[in-house]
Amino acid sequence: MQARKVPLSTGELTYFVAGEGRPLLYLHPAGGVRWTRVLEGLAKSFALHVPVMPGFDGTSAHGAVKSMQGLAKLMGEFIDKVIGDTSDVMGCSFGGCVALWLAAERPDRVDHLVLECPAVFRSKGPRPADAEALKKLLFLHPEKLPPESKPAEQEVANRRMPPHYRAPDDPDSELLAKTASIDKLTLILHGTADRMIPKESVQLLKSRLPRSYLVYVWDAAHAIEVDQPERMLSLVEGFLQRSEGFMVNWGTLAVNPG
Amino acid sequence: MKFSFFHLMPYTHLELESHDWPFPNRYFDPWKASALYKTYVESMIHAESCGFDWVGCNEHHFSPYGMMANCNLIGGALAYPTKRVKIAMIGNLVPLNNPIRIAEEYAMLDCMSGGRLVAGLMRGIPHEYLAYNIPPGESWERQREAVQLILKAWTEPEPFGWEGKHFQYRQVSIWPKPMQKPHPPLVISASNADSAKFAAEMGATMGMVLLADLPSGRDCIRIYKETARVNGWEPTAENVLVGMHTCIAETDEEARRWMAHGLKYFDQVLMGGLQASQRIVLQKTRYFENDESRDRWKSRLDKRRTLTLDEAIERGTVLCGSPETVVEQIKRIHGELGHGVFNFTVKVGTLPDEVIRRGMELFRDRVHPHVRGL
Repeated sequence: MQARKVPLSTGELTYFVAGEGRPLLYLHPAGGVRWTRVLEGLAKSFALHVPVMPGFDGTSAHGAVKSMQGLAKLMGEFIDKVIGDTSDVMGCSFGGCVALWLAAERPDRVDHLVLECPAVFRSKGPRPADAEALKKLLFLHPEKLPPESKPAEQEVANRRMPPHYRAPDDPDSELLAKTASIDKLTLILHGTADRMIPKESVQLLKSRLPRSYLVYVWDAAHAIEVDQPERMLSLVEGFLQRSEGFMVNWGTLAVNPG
Repeated sequence: MKFSFFHLMPYTHLELESHDWPFPNRYFDPWKASALYKTYVESMIHAESCGFDWVGCNEHHFSPYGMMANCNLIGGALAYPTKRVKIAMIGNLVPLNNPIRIAEEYAMLDCMSGGRLVAGLMRGIPHEYLAYNIPPGESWERQREAVQLILKAWTEPEPFGWEGKHFQYRQVSIWPKPMQKPHPPLVISASNADSAKFAAEMGATMGMVLLADLPSGRDCIRIYKETARVNGWEPTAENVLVGMHTCIAETDEEARRWMAHGLKYFDQVLMGGLQASQRIVLQKTRYFENDESRDRWKSRLDKRRTLTLDEAIERGTVLCGSPETVVEQIKRIHGELGHGVFNFTVKVGTLPDEVIRRGMELFRDRVHPHVRGL
């Protein structure tokens, strides 16, 4: 994974690239960029672009970008300038919300959309204050966390950023109003043990996005990429490569096929 | 107290000798089986007019122990001739089957019966895993995953996919959905600590059969209730089902004679192959999550095997006697366990069907009036 920088209209943006193939823009969650086994796997078939949204992972916020819509416009500009073509877009949690905004704002630049536990509306109650409690909320299998995970302090600092961008209402009513007009083929993923994003959130999205599929990943909490990387990778790859055909079982159940 | 008329539907035309696993089906006579099915289904329909609240049956494979490879077929046969009783499928063996098919068939039964389904989601006894070539060591994982998937299939408002460890479906949208909302009441077997906890976590009624003694049953109920509270709900008496072999006759002596007659066939013939296969499964696999659970199960079976009928009656693990005696037995067991559903296994081995019919009438006239208010 190579780190690069690109000047955009509101400031400089750091991003990572890995792999070759069809472009895939990955929008990270509120914890910042985490190089998971899913991203590692996707980089084997796609040209993966992972921008660090301003203010996350020690980067500076852009003074002119103050909303989710603004972030989405910035990501649109990133696609224009760096990818230069339409791109599949995958967003995780907070990044899923940005991805939806991007599909609404710049439909000309978005092909397939993958929303991993998108944070369109969140469960009630305060977030846990300490890192250990947050870990329990995010992961069902924290032992699967990649060893090079960032320091807890950085994650905590990252998690102070979403309120900078998010509208105070929950769910994001402006975004919800736009979802019916998003005609991108969309895969929505939700962990069966997710306690951060209620299932009603993904059910609502599924009912509003006209060309969407909702898939529950068993034995996964909020961070599906960490809890069930193999299953998630095969699901996302199948969807991006085969579109609606991902519903077909392309394998064989025979013991000695052929 | 609710009462359930439960049928194993055994095949009863075999010589009194034990067989190994699998039980050779050259002994099976379809004409005799045809007559048995008719008799059994008719007695289940008759149970409604005898005051029973549920009629129930379950799934077994490759054995004369029970001729219901798919008990939902019997549920379908009961749905229209009955009007009031709950159709209790207790139940389908979840880890062995396609969970979506279970969700669909149960939804059909719920609609056909006007919302009278009780949905049993069972893990199955060990030998069933040999029959369907499912790794017994995966039984708990498959059970946990499949139950969640079935609940999703019943309750999701939109088509959904499931990416699991043992089950994968890219898009599910079952037709029909169940009539009862959010879904039919669940029964999950809970004859040991692990299963009692799981039943409570799922908000299901706990089902206990083949009790070795009442204290072990009390332990399971305690664990179940404690777990339910931790999970934010308070079980009622009707969330506890206790099942026992039952024989009601005019006199204690007659009931004991018929029960002994039926048990001889049950133990020597029907249980024979099952015990052999269970030994293999339990020795060689991780069907139980730990050795303690396995040893407890084996000890429970051993205890039951070595008990005389008199001892079983004394321990309160069998209901047997005149109507007046059975009333006292029910009151005593209820006093000890506090359960709200009593499940009678009425066809014990070769216990004659006319004796069972008479017992049903005795239950209606001389037992039920004295215990329904418990």
